Amino acid sequence: MTITEILAKNRGDLENNLRSLLAKPVFIIEMDVFALPCGCKGVTVNTRGLQYDDLEIFEEHINGYLKKTSENLEIESSFLFARLVPGTAEIASLNSRVLCNRCYMDFSRGSGKKPRPDIYILNFERRE
Amino acid sequence: MKLYAPHVGHLEGLEELLTGSSDIYGVYMAGTPDYVGTGRTNLSAPGLEEIAEQTRYAHEKGVKMEVVLNSSCMGGQHLTSEGYNRINWYFKQLNNIGVDAITVAEPYFIEMLSKDFDMEVVVSVLSFVDSPQKAEFYEGLGADTIVIDPVINRAFDKLEAIRDAVSCDLKLLVNEGCLYQCPLRYAHFNFFSHANGPGPKLNVLDDYYYYKCLSLRIKDPQQLIKSPWIRPEDLKEYKHITDTFKIGGRTHFPNWILNNVHAYANESYEGNLMDLLDCPRDLRDLYYIPNKELEGAISQWKQCGKVCNKCGYCKRLAEKIIKVYSTENGENILKPLKVEGGQ
Repeated sequence: MTITEILAKNRGDLENNLRSLLAKPVFIIEMDVFALPCGCKGVTVNTRGLQYDDLEIFEEHINGYLKKTSENLEIESSFLFARLVPGTAEIASLNSRVLCNRCYMDFSRGSGKKPRPDIYILNFERRE
Repeated sequence: MKLYAPHVGHLEGLEELLTGSSDIYGVYMAGTPDYVGTGRTNLSAPGLEEIAEQTRYAHEKGVKMEVVLNSSCMGGQHLTSEGYNRINWYFKQLNNIGVDAITVAEPYFIEMLSKDFDMEVVVSVLSFVDSPQKAEFYEGLGADTIVIDPVINRAFDKLEAIRDAVSCDLKLLVNEGCLYQCPLRYAHFNFFSHANGPGPKLNVLDDYYYYKCLSLRIKDPQQLIKSPWIRPEDLKEYKHITDTFKIGGRTHFPNWILNNVHAYANESYEGNLMDLLDCPRDLRDLYYIPNKELEGAISQWKQCGKVCNKCGYCKRLAEKIIKVYSTENGENILKPLKVEGGQ
C-alpha cells in the first residue's frame, strides 16, 4: 500500500472506532503526517464532534485507538495528546508526536495532564 | 428570476463563471479589507484596478457587479474623521469604476451610500432584517434592496409582512446552512468582520464558533433539516415575495458555484442537498441528504409554529432520510443515521 492508502485506511478505521465507542458520527476531517523543522514528527488527526467529556469518560479507549493508529503508521506512540479549544468542550485534534530534544524538554518539565490550556496529554513516555 | 452568484474575486474565476452559465443576473465579491471588511471569509482581496477590470468584463456579459462590504462590526473606525474619509474615498472609487451595487451591514454606510452615491444600496443579511419594522427602518435609511435574514426563510407570515411593509426590492439567500436561531451567529460574524477587516489583525488559535457549529450538528443532525435553506424546487413558493435570489459561497470553486446556479436556475437538483449548502461545507463529506426526498416538506414548514420540542417533524424527517458516510474496507459507503448513532 502507498502512504496515502495507509493514511486513508487508518483515517476510516479510527473514525469507525470512535463512532462505535461514542454512539455519534464523530468526523475525522483530516489526518496528516508531518515533519517539523525542529525535528518533531508525527500524525495529526483533526476531529469534529469529539468533546472533552468523551475524552474524560473514554480516555483509556481513545488512547488505545490512537496508539494503534500511530503504530500502524510506524510512528512511535511515545507522546499522545489531544489539542483542545481552550476553555471549551471542543477537541480540535488527536495527535501522536515523536518529540525532538528541545520540545521534549518543554513537555517533560511538568507532571500534569495539561501543560498548556490547549493540550491534554493521553500518554507521555519519559526518557531515561 | 434574478439570480445572484458568488464570485471568488479574480478575473479567471469570473470568466469561468460567466462562460459557464447564462443564468446569472449578477455576481458579488468582496473588496479589499483595507477599508471595510466583510462578515465572511474571502479567497481574494481585489484592488481597485482588479475590480474595475472585472466590472468591465461583467458588464460586457450583461451581468451586474456587486461589491460586498458587509462587516458587522467596524470597531467604531467609521465614526472617526480618518475612518470616514478613508471609507468615503473608497466608496467614491467604486462608484467611479461603475460598480452597480454595494452590500453593507452597517446602518451608517447605508445612509452614506444612499445620500452621496449612485450605486444600488443593498442591506446585507448581516443586518439581520427579520421583521417589517426593521425593513421599514432600512428603507428609511435609503436601502434599494434588502437581503432578508434567512432565519425567517420559512416564516411566510413574516416574509409577507415585510413584502407589504416596504417598496424596495427584496432578496432571499437560498443556500445558507446556518443553524436555525444560531446562538453563535452575531459573535461569529463579528469575529469574521475583524479577521477580514482593516485590522488590527488577530492571531487566532481556532475558530471556536465553527467547531461548535459542526459539533452541534454531529451531536444532533436534525439541525441540518431545521436550517432555513430553500431547496431549488421550492423557489416557486417564494415568488409572491420576490423574484430575486442569492446563492451564498464566495469561498468555493467556480465549479461548485456553477452547480448551484444550474440547480437554482432549473429549480431542481438530483443528489445530496449538502452539495448545495454554503455552510457547513465540511459536513457534505459526512452527511447525505437526498434532496428529492425532501419534496413536500415545505408544506409543513409553511404552517410550522417553530416549537420543535412539541412538533418533532424535522427530527423524524432527519431520522428517515439522512445517511452518514462511513468507511468500510477502504470504500466510502452510506449508512442510515441510526446505525451511526446520530440521534
